[in-house]
Amino acid sequence: MSTAQRLEYSPLRIFLKTIAARAYPRVMAANRQKTWVFFDMAFPVVGALAMVLVYQGLHAPRQYLGFVIMGGAMLAFWQNVLWSMGAQFSWDRGNGTLELYVISPTTFEAVLLGMALGSMFTVTLRAGAILVLGSFLFGISYAAAGTLPAVGIFLITLAALYCLGMLLASLFLFYGREAWHLSNAMQEPVNFLSGLYFPVHALGAYVGGAASLVPMTLGLDAMRQLLLPGTPVFIPAGTETLLVAAQIPVFALLAGISLRYMESRARTDGKLVTRWE
Amino acid sequence: MGVEAARQLAGYTAAVRLGWAVSSNWTRPILFVVYSVLRPISMALILAVMYTVITGNAARTRPYLAFLIIGTAFWSFIQEGVSEFATGILEDRGRYHILKYSYMAPLGFPIFLVGRATSKLASAAASVVIVLVVGSVALHLDINPLRINYPLLVAACLLAFVSVMAFAITLSMVLLAGKDTHGYGEIMASFLYLFSGAIFPISVLPGPIAWLASLSPLPYWLELCRRAILHGRVYQMFPNISDGEVLLRLVVATAGTLLLGYFVYGMTDRRARRMGYIDMEANW
Repeated sequence: MSTAQRLEYSPLRIFLKTIAARAYPRVMAANRQKTWVFFDMAFPVVGALAMVLVYQGLHAPRQYLGFVIMGGAMLAFWQNVLWSMGAQFSWDRGNGTLELYVISPTTFEAVLLGMALGSMFTVTLRAGAILVLGSFLFGISYAAAGTLPAVGIFLITLAALYCLGMLLASLFLFYGREAWHLSNAMQEPVNFLSGLYFPVHALGAYVGGAASLVPMTLGLDAMRQLLLPGTPVFIPAGTETLLVAAQIPVFALLAGISLRYMESRARTDGKLVTRWE
Repeated sequence: MGVEAARQLAGYTAAVRLGWAVSSNWTRPILFVVYSVLRPISMALILAVMYTVITGNAARTRPYLAFLIIGTAFWSFIQEGVSEFATGILEDRGRYHILKYSYMAPLGFPIFLVGRATSKLASAAASVVIVLVVGSVALHLDINPLRINYPLLVAACLLAFVSVMAFAITLSMVLLAGKDTHGYGEIMASFLYLFSGAIFPISVLPGPIAWLASLSPLPYWLELCRRAILHGRVYQMFPNISDGEVLLRLVVATAGTLLLGYFVYGMTDRRARRMGYIDMEANW
């Protein structure tokens, strides 16, 4: 195919090919590096195990162990959103990839969507392993009737979560070393606010309501209501699902606006090529 | 001899200052403190809510809340001293490419590492104090600064710092062998979390693992911290053992950690020089 023919690629085709191209290393490279497969799974498992033992130390009902295991599985996604979506452009800038994105005929949105889709696939496999392993280890059972709706809510939650990740990526575009610290600082507060290890109901209406800005909060609560009957209800699962679904276009739109603004500012300030800050 | 000691001290001080600068000069001091305390405070709040959900905050279970909060507060020393320290050394090599210069300097490399670890432990101290203040004010723990047994607290912490430094330095030397070991310090700190008695008594662990945990200095250190701060009003992991005996166990466990660290450091150091790990291009 000649160069002239290549130039005739439609923007849609370039967009889709970028998504596939960026998703590919997320799926393949993530599994080639065996140590990171271990790392991605070990961190949430160890964290969840610690919380399970806290509940055992408190002589908590077995149902709470299920809370923790589900929270541990979702933690894998939040970690991925923070470190591999939010902070990614900052790493890319450091290693010189960001400038290549900018001069290529594609868009940041396509690159981020590729990253998100690749990550979703990879992390879902790992989160699934955490869920199965944890549930087997601690003898946790789930309500079979709630499985299918829970899978649906899970997919909606993932979509909203990764749209939030795209928004964070644009906000992190300016950061150098702060990206690392900011991701680190956002980890534990969100674990707390989203009720990873306890029912969100315990946070009360105001704190829980504010925490609902993170899609994981409502999504996880809805899934728990369906899979672990008897879960204290924060908001009915149906309403939570609608609210999470509404977050998808909101975060996607905000991410688009933010990306345009940040890119423009970064070009003006010469930040797209700055390294070793 | 005196000149050599002065030179070592100057080198140690420079390493502490370097560690502090690398840790903190990316932002303003106030923002640095905010970032530093967000994590331990959130962790303490997670545990406080878990405790409240299960116990309903009943008066008879309050000693267990104190157990959780003090354990979480002092855990910052491990988080910074092990996880952040290992990350810092790997960054020195892979990201900033300065580890080889530190290694070649006339100052002994272990002194440099101890200096870097000291700065990490010092920056964790602020988190410890703030979490304890939050525990006192927001969670109504009966912590009174005038009633703390400071000699016991200081003795326990100094011994623990020796252990933490020995472990962290050895770990970072081991991690130099890998090209992409960034993040493994965090994993190791998470594993230590399980064996330290920071948020649950080690007796909750399965038998053989609980026995292994009892060889570590960390459970004895945290037990002494709790006793020093809230003697008699906090859940005890070793209720049948006196303060002196817990301290003795801490001394023995620290000596063991130090000895083991010394041998492993020697091995990993020789290996690092032989294999060229000190200035290896790492995947950063």
